[in-house]
Amino acid sequence: MPDYLKMGVVLMVVGMVATAILSVTESATQKPIAAAKRQEMFDMLKSVLPEGFDNKPDLDAVILADKRLNRQGKPVTFYRARKGETNLGAAFLVTAPDGYAGDIEIMMSVTPNGTINLVQIVTQAETPGLGDKIVKTNWLKAFPGKSQDGTKWRVKKDGGDFDQFSGATITPRAVVAAVKRGLDFFAERKETIFKPFKPEDKP
Amino acid sequence: MSVSETNTRKVLMDGLWANNNVFVQMLGMCPTLAVSTSAANGIGMGLATMFVLLGSNTVISMIRNLIPSDVRIPTYIIVIAAFVTIIDLSMNAYVHDLHKVLGIYIPLIVANCVVLGRAEVFAARNTVFASAVDGIATGLGFSLALGILGGTREILGAGTFFGLPVTGESFHPSLVFVLPPGAFIALGFIIVGVRLINQKRKANAS
Repeated sequence: MPDYLKMGVVLMVVGMVATAILSVTESATQKPIAAAKRQEMFDMLKSVLPEGFDNKPDLDAVILADKRLNRQGKPVTFYRARKGETNLGAAFLVTAPDGYAGDIEIMMSVTPNGTINLVQIVTQAETPGLGDKIVKTNWLKAFPGKSQDGTKWRVKKDGGDFDQFSGATITPRAVVAAVKRGLDFFAERKETIFKPFKPEDKP
Repeated sequence: MSVSETNTRKVLMDGLWANNNVFVQMLGMCPTLAVSTSAANGIGMGLATMFVLLGSNTVISMIRNLIPSDVRIPTYIIVIAAFVTIIDLSMNAYVHDLHKVLGIYIPLIVANCVVLGRAEVFAARNTVFASAVDGIATGLGFSLALGILGGTREILGAGTFFGLPVTGESFHPSLVFVLPPGAFIALGFIIVGVRLINQKRKANAS
């Protein structure tokens, strides 16, 4: 066999064996990965949503899109928590596009009367020791109980109700603004967000 | 280096200390500097790299006589990338929490020149057993280096060690050590220390 052919054949065989092994691994790990992700989502929702719901919020969801939730207007899933027929709240992801280091993804849950139940940061890459104080301190504790009215949705430096950090104003400003936009959207579309599934709604 | 010259003990010591990839050979700087923001991150990355090294060294040593030398590098890369993907998927499936912490760094292992370096320098010329030992030794040496660097940066930069506070109230952590410049500064001083230790040992031996 000429050399160039041998090289080609060897590379092909190596590639094929590697592909075969990887496809076996992929199919073996696919289900556990999906299960782990679902569990993670459920745990996340459980920690954010008001206590005492008896439905499965990770399955009871509506998908809406708006430029206020993220700059691209990508669809956002609203997970609903209910107890029997009563709505307890909804949790959804808002994205602050104007952090110091890329997008900040925020999971917020709101009760039906428009009060914030909890705010959590899902992903952020803010400067360690400065901007990341939004997660390293209890700064996020300022949000629960706040609603559209009666709160000045700005950082103190801008005449609002929320603390900034010395040396890091951009991050808190971005988060406060994003949560406010999420809250505005929620108030406007509350009916749609809590609209229960009807069998005839299914495609 | 021929098969007869390499004995297990020497291979182990070489990988762990005498020829430590980070402190002595200055290889694998990209993951070393990027990941070592805390002791746990450093050691996690080191151990994940060790599993890849063990797998890739073993397999490459097994097939070393079948691969024409002109296509050996692409072959090594395929083997390494396959192992990295296997580890990435299995960690995601079975140790999901750890994968969440290290997840973004794991694909980086493919680009770690330590792994390719050991394939080319050692596994392609030595027996399967010696290559496996070399993989473990180099991996442990890499973990040691990243652990020391990560621990130093964590203590100086955040005042914690493995996430637990270790310095008193009076100590003000200096943020720069957790930021990228701190990686270079801390690594520089650690390498000075390693060189001094080695010099002393040499002087004592002679």
